[in-house]
This record gives sequence, C-alpha cells and structure tokens, in this order.
Amino acid sequence: MSASTAKHTGYRWRVLIVAAVLAGLFGMLVFRLVQLQVGASQYGADFLKRQGDLRAVRSAEIPAYRGLITDRRGSPLAVSTPVVTLWANPQQLIGSGKEAELAQLLNLSVDGFSAKLNRYRNKQFMYLARHQTPTVARAVLSSDIPGIYGRREYRRFYPAGEVVSQLVGTTNIDGAGASGVEMKFDESLQGVPGKKRFIKDLHGEAIRDIGVVSEAADGESLQLSIDLRLQHVQHRELLRAMKETGAAAASAVTVDARTGEILAMTNLPSFNPNRRGQLNLAAMRNRVVTDVYEPGSTVKPLTLVAALESGEFDIDTIIDTSPGRIKVGDKVLPDPRNYGAISVSRVIEKSSQVGVTKMAQAVGHESIIDVFQRFGLGQATGAEFPGERSGRLPDHDFWSAIDQVTPAFGYGLLVTPLQLAHAYSAFANDGRLVPLTLLAVDEAPSEGRQVVSPDIARKVITVLHRVTGEEGTAKRASVPGFSVGGKTGTVHKVGDAGYLDDQYVALFAGVSPIESPRYVTVVVIDEPKGDVYGGGAAAAPVFSRITQEVLRIRNAVPDAEQEPDVLMMASAGDASRG
Amino acid sequence: MMSRFFEFVLSLPAVFVLCLGSALMVVSETHQTRLLFAQLQTLEGERWQLQEDYSRLVIEYSTLSAPHRVSELSVTSLAMASPDTGAIRVVAE
Repeated sequence: MSASTAKHTGYRWRVLIVAAVLAGLFGMLVFRLVQLQVGASQYGADFLKRQGDLRAVRSAEIPAYRGLITDRRGSPLAVSTPVVTLWANPQQLIGSGKEAELAQLLNLSVDGFSAKLNRYRNKQFMYLARHQTPTVARAVLSSDIPGIYGRREYRRFYPAGEVVSQLVGTTNIDGAGASGVEMKFDESLQGVPGKKRFIKDLHGEAIRDIGVVSEAADGESLQLSIDLRLQHVQHRELLRAMKETGAAAASAVTVDARTGEILAMTNLPSFNPNRRGQLNLAAMRNRVVTDVYEPGSTVKPLTLVAALESGEFDIDTIIDTSPGRIKVGDKVLPDPRNYGAISVSRVIEKSSQVGVTKMAQAVGHESIIDVFQRFGLGQATGAEFPGERSGRLPDHDFWSAIDQVTPAFGYGLLVTPLQLAHAYSAFANDGRLVPLTLLAVDEAPSEGRQVVSPDIARKVITVLHRVTGEEGTAKRASVPGFSVGGKTGTVHKVGDAGYLDDQYVALFAGVSPIESPRYVTVVVIDEPKGDVYGGGAAAAPVFSRITQEVLRIRNAVPDAEQEPDVLMMASAGDASRG
Repeated sequence: MMSRFFEFVLSLPAVFVLCLGSALMVVSETHQTRLLFAQLQTLEGERWQLQEDYSRLVIEYSTLSAPHRVSELSVTSLAMASPDTGAIRVVAE
C-alpha cells in the first residue's frame, strides 16, 4: 500500500474515496445488523424473534390427571386411566404402502380404512382411534409405519358401574364433568393442564423440546359420604323389588341424620357408565333428587308435629273417626273401615284419613305448611346435586275447604325423595335439621337449625315405631333384632286427566334404630303392578331389607326384644293403603 | 489522556477473556438444560407408566373387592352366613 501511494500520489484521493465508500458500506451493514439484532425498531429484534417462533415453536398441552372419586371408605368410584389417542398425518401415510398393515393393526376393514384415508388425503390430521389402551397403542406406534402419532390422554373408568352411575355421573369425551358428582365438583377434580414448548420442522414434527412453560397440576381426589357396600345393598334390593312388583322405576336413599351425610342413593333403571354411546336418558336420571312426587301419607308425621305443637293434641288424645268417612267441601274422604274413637297415635298407625283431616281442620293449614317449610320441604337440601329440584308447597290465593286439608295427607305438594329423607332426619336428630352433604365429614356439622323441640321429635319417633308394629300399616318394615319406625305412603299417579285409578307410587320413609335414631331411609317404588302396590306392601319390605344391612354395616347394637320369628310371620300380599 | 487510552487497550484482553468465559458458560448451561430436559422426559414417561399401573391396580382391586363378589364368595366358598338375631351377643358398647 505504501509503495503504491508513493508511486501514484495523484490517485491518492481516489483510493481514499473508495476506502471511504467501502467503510461507509461496511458501517451500514454493521448498523443494520445492530438494528436487527438488538434494536427496538418496528421490524427489529423482537419482531424477528416473534416471527421465527411463530413459524417453528409450538406449544402442546400436558394433560392433568383427573382426581379420583372414592366412597367414604376409599373404594374407587371413578378412576382416570391413561389411554392413547392415535392419529395420523395422511400426507406421510399415503403412498407408504403400509395402509393395509395399519388397518389390520387397528382391527379395521382394509377397504373402509382406504376410503377414510382417501377422504382425508388433503389434510394433515386424522384420528385413527381414540382412547386406546396403552398396550394396543404401543403395538401400533412401535411398528415402522410412517405418519402415525400417539397423544396421551385420560379416560374415566367407573369400577362400580351401574350401582352408582347416576350419582357419580359421567364425563364427556374431552374429560369434563357432564353430570352428577363429576359435574358438581368438576373444578376441583379436573386440575389444570400444563403447557410445554417444542420446535417443529417443516412437516410439523417435533424436533426438540424447549421446555415446560407450566407444569400440569393434577386434580384433587374426592371422598364422598357414600358407602359402596350400602349402595350395593340398595341396588340389589331395588332390583328384587322391581322384579317382584313389576314396577317401572324405583329409588332409595339413606342419610345419616346426625352428620347430614348421604350414605347411599340408588335408582333403577340404571346404566353402565363404562359403555358410552348407548345411553338412555330415563336411566341416567338421579330420581332421588330430580324427580318430584306427591308424598302422600308419608307427610302425616309432619301434620302430627303441627297438631302436637298446637297444644290441642297429644299422642294419646282421642279422636272419633266414626263413621269411617268425612265430608270436606264436596269431597268425601274415606277410611278403609270405621276405626271408631282412636288415639292420635293410632290415627297415624292406621293412617286414618278421617283422623288426620280432623287434626288438620283443628290446627289450620297455615301451621301445617309452616311445619313443612321448617322441615325443608319446598327448599334445597344442601346437597346441591346437579339438576336437584326443590319441589313445591301448595300456594293458593283462595284456600277452599278441600285445599286446606289435602296437604295434611300429602296431596297438592311435590317433594323429592331426598327432601323427604331430609325432613325425617330432623325426627332422628332430636328435632335438629342438618344440611345434607355428598362429602364425607368427620364430625357433626355445627350448621343446622332446631326445627322442632326434642320432646315432640321423640314423640313422633315413638308413633313411627308403632306404625311398624303388629297393628300398624307397615309391619313389613320391621327388622329382626332392631326396632325401627316409619310411615308408608301410597299415592295415585297423575295423568293427563287427573289422578289415575290404577297407577300408584308406593313410598316408605323410616328411621332406625328407635333407641338412638340415626339412619333415615326413603324407598320409592314407581308404578308397582298387581296386588302389591301399596306403600306397606311394595316399599316397606324393601326398607326393612335395606335397613337391616345399614344397621349391620354401621355396627348398630341390636335393640329389639321381640323374637325374630314373630316378625318373620308378617303376612304376604298385604296391600293396605298407606 | 494518553494513559487513559493505554488503560483501555490493556483492558481489552480482559474483556475478551470475560466474554469468552461467558460464552462457554452459555454453552455449558444449554447442555445442562438439554440433559435435564431429557431426564424430565424419561421421568414423565416413567410417571405415565406408573399411572398406567396404578389405575390398572385400582381397577383390579375394586373388581376383586366388589361387594357382590365378596358376599357371593363368603357364602359359596367360605360357608359364611349372617347370624340369627338370637345368636348375636353384644360384648361391649
């Protein structure tokens, strides 16, 4: 350089200009480079990085494990099992010559599979088989067929099947709660899915994972108040009752009156939640909470509460029910026969229409409706089950003579079997009504309110016990070795043209054991056929068999002194109206 | 003025060494990340496998302990029966 400058001093300025231009160009390059790499201009570093990521970085969901649902003793009722959903990229699969092999692995017809593949020939994604067991998926994924991918998912499995199906409910194919407990507690069960990021190539295949953006938080498991053993007992006994009575449907519910826990809740017809695609809506209803019935004579103990609270009656006050019928407005309410002058207790034991009507007329409908309200009829039970109905209490602008007495024997109001069990739980808990719950609780809740004095609750329990005695309408509800109490109910079903003469609902609501009452069971038999249609004949024996197991499973101490043989002799075919 | 310039020139190698060190650390950290990520992948696979086993065992357990199976087996193969009321003695409360 120095030699040439010495020789061509006249060109020195030219060299300088070229050097300056080159330096300028280099400077511009450096400036541009800096601008793109670190600058914050509109199309600067951030913009470029974002655009690059948009083309290459993808994020994928890490599925969260859905919480386990167990019964009160830890037996699983709903379990999430890992499954693999197989999908294909038709672009890579078509032309590999392995389509037939794949169809065979998936147990599909070769022709049908080719046709499906043909429909998706322009797509990049196609489901092959959803929710395959890991073993099947491994066999397919480990074959050397190109364009096959697996996605990890969870599928819900219900080990107890149809025994608790309406209660536990179901999830939809995407794993969200769709009914029952699965829906009610969906938020805590489902957890939060995580997110991870990876770099993909031109074909969308993951080349390299970049990292986990957020870890999946697994769902919490849930311990229900349900006892699976009792659930099985109820299911078995309802099946038997359906068979014996030819009923269209049946439900049962057992609650612990002290804690408000629902121990078992079953309905027939039922369905198998593990078999999707053939779901029958009638079988999916949790009738105990979604169906309302006129409770019939099962509310007479509540009428008795109103009568006792009025001070005009005690359980041994004599009421004359002669001549076995009573005229109210233009209606005549009959008893099965003339009971003559009987005590209030006997009125309930015999379920005398005349006696109850006289009590209702004496205390007035306001105080009876008030008792219904206090005992939670027409209100939510606290269980907050999806689809739970709160029933309806009679509400008239003008109360005609007949309107004033029908609520006293359970017509003109609608209750769910769960509400009925809830109301009876106050009798079994010294007059204290505790909100019901589906979750296992450790000790008696502090919530709850005194709806009737302990003294009156005790008296009602005594009368309920007599109903299941030799003279009562529900001697078939008795349990060998234990003293129980309860009330039958038989109501006509309502059709298009009013009450139907030949279709009934048989009910039984009872408490046990009498010495220290704790368990309330309600049985509803919908449309029993033939001779056994009454609450005493169709529902009471079911109550007896369920309660026997309730007391055995819950370790209750036998308290009855009667010889079991005597109790076993209760005559069959007793269809006495409740 | 001059000494300032020399100080600057002399500090350049030090900056260069620091820069090199930082670059090597980036490389090593990236490598560590990869190793840890691979480990995470393995562990996740293991967790998946364990979950598979767990839910299979839970289902097996509940199938074997299903109340109707227990009551059938207790009657058929163990010759058990519910005691009559008269046979029950309450020992303690």
